[in-house]
Amino acid sequence: MSIIQTKDVKKWFGDFQALKGISMDVAEGEVLVVCGPSGSGKSTFIRCINRLEQHQEGQIIVDGIELTNDLKNIEAIRSEVGMVFQSFNLFPHLTVMQNITLAQIWVRKKNRAESEEKAMELLERVGIPEQAQKFPGQLSGGQQQRVAIARALAMEPKIMLFDEPTSALDPEMIKEVLDVMKELAKSGMTMIVVTHEMGFAKEVADRVMLFDEGMLVEENTPEEFFNNPKSDRTKLFLSQIL
Amino acid sequence: MIDLIKKNAKSLQESLFSSVGSSVLTIATTYLVINFFRGMLGFAMTSDKDWLAVLNNMQLYMVQAYPEEDFIRVWLSVGLTFVLAGLSIGIWRNEERVKSSQIFNSFFKGGLGVLFFTIIAPTNASFMGNDGSVITEEVLSMDTRLGLLIPVIIFCAIFFSIRFTNLNFTVNSSDMVFFYLFLPVALIWFVKLPTIQLDQNNERIIPEPLMPIANTTKIPWTVIFVAFLASYFIGMYIKNIKSIKSAISLSWFLLPLLIFSWIFKKPQIEMSVVLGSDLPIFGFFLLWGFLVITFVNNSLFKKYYSTYLGVTFLLTIVGVFSGLPMLAKTCLLLIALFSVVVPAVSTSSQGKRSLLIVWAVALVTLTFLLRGGASDTGIVVPGSSIFGGFSLTWLLAIFGTYVSFPLGVLLALGRNSKLPIIRIVCTGIIELTRSVPYITWLFFASVTLAVFLPAGVEFNLIVRVLMVTAFFSGAYFAENIRGGLQSIPKGQYEAADAIGMSPFQKISLIIMPQALRAVIPTLVSSAITAFKDSSLVTIIGLFDFLTIGKTVIGNQSIPVNFVGHDRENLIFVAIVYWIFTFTLSRRSMKVEKKLGLGER
Ligand SMILES: Nc1ncnc2c1ncn2[C@@H]1O[C@H](COP(=O)(O)OP(=O)(O)O)[C@@H](O)[C@H]1O
Ligand SMILES: [Mg+2]
Repeated sequence: MSIIQTKDVKKWFGDFQALKGISMDVAEGEVLVVCGPSGSGKSTFIRCINRLEQHQEGQIIVDGIELTNDLKNIEAIRSEVGMVFQSFNLFPHLTVMQNITLAQIWVRKKNRAESEEKAMELLERVGIPEQAQKFPGQLSGGQQQRVAIARALAMEPKIMLFDEPTSALDPEMIKEVLDVMKELAKSGMTMIVVTHEMGFAKEVADRVMLFDEGMLVEENTPEEFFNNPKSDRTKLFLSQIL
Repeated sequence: MIDLIKKNAKSLQESLFSSVGSSVLTIATTYLVINFFRGMLGFAMTSDKDWLAVLNNMQLYMVQAYPEEDFIRVWLSVGLTFVLAGLSIGIWRNEERVKSSQIFNSFFKGGLGVLFFTIIAPTNASFMGNDGSVITEEVLSMDTRLGLLIPVIIFCAIFFSIRFTNLNFTVNSSDMVFFYLFLPVALIWFVKLPTIQLDQNNERIIPEPLMPIANTTKIPWTVIFVAFLASYFIGMYIKNIKSIKSAISLSWFLLPLLIFSWIFKKPQIEMSVVLGSDLPIFGFFLLWGFLVITFVNNSLFKKYYSTYLGVTFLLTIVGVFSGLPMLAKTCLLLIALFSVVVPAVSTSSQGKRSLLIVWAVALVTLTFLLRGGASDTGIVVPGSSIFGGFSLTWLLAIFGTYVSFPLGVLLALGRNSKLPIIRIVCTGIIELTRSVPYITWLFFASVTLAVFLPAGVEFNLIVRVLMVTAFFSGAYFAENIRGGLQSIPKGQYEAADAIGMSPFQKISLIIMPQALRAVIPTLVSSAITAFKDSSLVTIIGLFDFLTIGKTVIGNQSIPVNFVGHDRENLIFVAIVYWIFTFTLSRRSMKVEKKLGLGER
């Protein structure tokens, strides 16, 4: 059973077509890595999955619910799908603890004690329980991104979306974030990860996709993708990046 | 201790006399400052000044000619405010501790200030006599000066040396409020003031010994202080009750309305009208709103939503031009607006509950205002306005900030709204209000506004002034807040969306707190401006604080002649304004610092 299904998704920004018909499936528990040159529509595509962007044509079905303009569906889907951004987007006026408990308290309507317990559990999991009472501005980039992951996980999502989670980080911090993501992948979470970290793709991805100019150029297992790509575009891309 | 003094002296030398240029600047500025204060003190102390013109007119300053038999309303309002303040401080009590050394240090600094003035005060000062000649006299004899200096020096010495003892303790910073309030309340029981009385020949005499402050002042303040103390403890006790914080916030919001109708209107309401007409109308519209909220997600309702809106608007238009009671007409307008808004905002079950509360509060307020506003006032005051003085200035200031602030938030959000009609209306209100001078709006309130109100609705001049003031400062707040909103990165909205927050939660928990924090300095300066600008109401014949000092007392000849003593009063008024605005700006600096904690 596929948990995410898209059929011929098209998206325009004004006259510019950012997505030119994307069809794909993601099975439950699958880890999917999306790569491709800058401006190829990767972000736009995964942002369509939790409706931060609206697609104009085609169908997106997440966990059996089709994305339409219906407010209720959007809220239902957003609470199933966690998202981690390139620029962390933590709430700077709240402590780490408040960042993580906020949605549990206000969206999930859990009580405070319960949500704080859950938050501590998640902070342990991402390895920074001692930072709970600090403000985001007092943390390093890698720590902030791990808080962002904990914040998304606090909603107990079925699917996690990552949009270049390590691109804004200094090299020495990339590993700590990737480790958290690997652990998450091994725990059976369904993940779509936009990244250029090919090591990560080789190690944990079930499938790798290449986007170019708003189209899905190649979709393959990691071994095939890196060693024996089908399309010339992939070969070019790999030669540039590796 | 010697080391400490040496170190301080060294750093002083470094900061003030580091080069020839800065030495010259330091000396010149010191000379100017000292001479300025010398002049001021000399001016205040010459024998032609009559400071009793200030002291004996406190009642006039506070409430102008408000009838004495209704003073209880004023006291109740002040008391209620303090009780709410006590509850709030108790509930939001912070755990911050103030060190004893900090407290002693501020006493020491205060003592130094007094010492400074005692030293620089001039011995002789001159003033212009009635015939135009300059009269010079001794204003501060050496004996008096010494008599002042010695206790002040002892005071300073005590608080300076106390930090070298091991007297060390900390006080909860919230608890300090009591100390600040306790001092003046204790003081009024001991202070004796010169009180002017008239003898048989209408000559003024000041009875000796001096009289204590009247019981009608002492007792209410003491009661209020005790009530404040009590509510502080109650607040600490009840702080964990669910939704108590929202309830208190809501009470703060409704307080001005309540006070206003108490002090100002003393409404004479007929119960038969309330029961026979207001209550059924209120109930009807409450039910209507409730139904809209309940069925907003119902598919049948959604299908026929536009039909429903059409019918509602038609009913509203017909209703407004029919002979329905005023309340029904206004409620119709409100429900039409409400029906547009509800589907646009959050429709989760929590959202529905808060919407229902908002609707009920709006209806209660409206009913209350219309019934109170349309009734005759039971308070009769000689002269044009019902009260003036500090109460009026304060009322205008409160409305200028407190009521207009939420209005500003709404206008700012409306101006950023995706719905064109809301955006256009909000932009229109803001631009229209800001592009016309405040004085013009005051004239509009006093002369023209009645024409725009529906027939049969008449508001007193003060109400009309409050209405335009709320909009005027609301527009300024809105623009400030909008600036803050623009400084919030898009990622914040997306992050809030991505964790499933409703639009209302997103705005109130994520966006607004950050936007407001970014604009605190401008908001405070707007609030200070609103406070000071309230003195412009004198132009339409209201007696604000400044007008009382300058015009009323300056021209007062009965019962006591104070004609020509407006300078003393102006200085007093200026000092009072300064104390309030200075406190406000200091508080805002503290808040800013506290919020700055999370700064990136
Ligand atoms: N809000 C927007 N308005 C206009 N164009 C946009 C917007 N967001 C993205 N685009 C365009 O869509 C294309 C795809 O962008 P994006 O999905 O961010 O690419 P990627 O994440 O693969 O680098 C780019 O050419 C970009 O300029
Ligand atoms: Mg991108």
